[in-house]
Amino acid sequence: MLPGVEALERAMGYLPGTAPEPVTELIQEVSEELVILDGVKAEYRIFSNIRLWPEDKTVEIEGVIFHVKPIIYSQITDTEEVALFICTAGPLVGEMSRRSMKEGDLLRGYVYDVIGSEVVECAADNMQDELKRAAGTRGMHITNRFSPGYCGWDVAEQHKLFSFFKDNFCDITLTPSALMNPVKSVSGLTGIGRNVRYTSYQCHKCDDNNCIYRNRKTKA
Amino acid sequence: MTELLERISICVEFGKVDLKSPYPPALKDQQGAFELTRIALDSGVSPGVILEEALIPAMSRVGEKFSRNEIFVPQMLMAAKAMNSSMIHLRPFYLSGETRRKGTFIVGTVTGDLHDIGKNLVAMMIEGAGWEVIDLGVDVSTEKFIETADKYPGAVIGLSALLTTTMENMRKTVASLREIRHSMKILVGGAPVTPEFCVKIGADHYSPDPQGAVEFLKSIAQ
Ligand code: B12
Repeated sequence: MLPGVEALERAMGYLPGTAPEPVTELIQEVSEELVILDGVKAEYRIFSNIRLWPEDKTVEIEGVIFHVKPIIYSQITDTEEVALFICTAGPLVGEMSRRSMKEGDLLRGYVYDVIGSEVVECAADNMQDELKRAAGTRGMHITNRFSPGYCGWDVAEQHKLFSFFKDNFCDITLTPSALMNPVKSVSGLTGIGRNVRYTSYQCHKCDDNNCIYRNRKTKA
Repeated sequence: MTELLERISICVEFGKVDLKSPYPPALKDQQGAFELTRIALDSGVSPGVILEEALIPAMSRVGEKFSRNEIFVPQMLMAAKAMNSSMIHLRPFYLSGETRRKGTFIVGTVTGDLHDIGKNLVAMMIEGAGWEVIDLGVDVSTEKFIETADKYPGAVIGLSALLTTTMENMRKTVASLREIRHSMKILVGGAPVTPEFCVKIGADHYSPDPQGAVEFLKSIAQ
């Protein structure tokens, strides 16, 4: 489940193999310590009672309207079902990160932080693989995953998304300002259908140069 | 003497904390920022000179390299750690009032937001530029900012927000601060914040990275 050294170097901005020694050493040390990382969870719910509204670029799921906006809408126009998901790396990495920072070990704190971000992304990738496999058995395909707060989709719409996940699903809670707790968590939707497909990210349509998914290679 | 200051400066820039730090390899088994600062003070160099001629230039080079994507967050944190080891010796002079800083910077992540790494980096770099930094942490209420600003008249305020939802809280905090102190300087930053947003909410300056914040402070301190 843990990301490799190269993935972490890249997440910190380095080309693989170019991070200074204390950084790669710490990555290794912290990774060994976190081998058994409890609390990593990824869950989804699939909905078939959905409608797409092309004029508004919205998706209606069991009567709740999501304003996903044009970029995401264009990727899910042929969807027949929608999976809503939430994933988390759990509270531990965040706690370790804060503790190290407080104790003055800033670099170690940062390494935990970046590992947490990558772990939750890996958990979401694995969830997508599982979703793809399950859809495949029914002759269907899946789209990429899309998250509120990206590609114009308002981050506050996470409140609607969470309304489908009662009872502290995955032990993630959402604050009024739409911040998930634990911090190392992601939420979103994936389209499912016979005629949908996984594409490379549509980065040329978006003007966010800082996005983590920008020009990221997609797993097919 | 300048050679000693130069050595301190290099130790800080490359994150050589003390004798025990193995990195960078070229400085292995040599004294680091911690020991060299003590030596400088003991041989009569004033804390102000150490700050001005060793620490500030080192952190400024770090900030510039970071803005140019030549180094990344880890190296900035390593430099900050070396700077802190030097500060251990300098702090008593600030506390006693013997040495003065360039001003006070109050920083925090706005209410409803828990992101802190970016804000911490800004705080470190501003401390490295010779300012006193009061870090209020995350999820800081407008009242807390106002209360702290009252304690430090003339302080510059820095606000961080990482979500579009909490940018709204940033707007509210700026409006409230402006009400009580019209001329207070307010700096804003964080991934979704833009120069346009900064203008719209009436803050004084937006910077995408710590170096821009340092340069803004420099421009108003003169
Ligand atoms: C890593 C990351 C994650 C990780 C970890 C998140 C975490 N909080 O730890 C994961 C994968 C878990 C994640 C999840 C989500 N994320 Co995210 N994430 C990022 C990413 C790529 C980097 C953030 C980071 O750690 N940067 C490193 C630090 C050092 O940088 P920084 O904090 O920005 O600080 C720098 C500057 O901004 C500046 N600065 C900061 N504060 C201040 C203050 C002042 C005064 C000044 C002058 C400068 C300044 O200086 C710092 C150093 O250069 C950003 C995009 C980006 N490139 O920034 C998105 C980003 C923050 N995420 C975003 C979103 C939407 C989300 C999610 C809501 C998505 C979802 N629906 O699941 C969730 C929310 C998670 C939650 N808990 O609620 C958005 C937020 C904007 C928005 N739309 O609201 C961003 C901006 C991406 C985007 N769409 O553009 N995310």
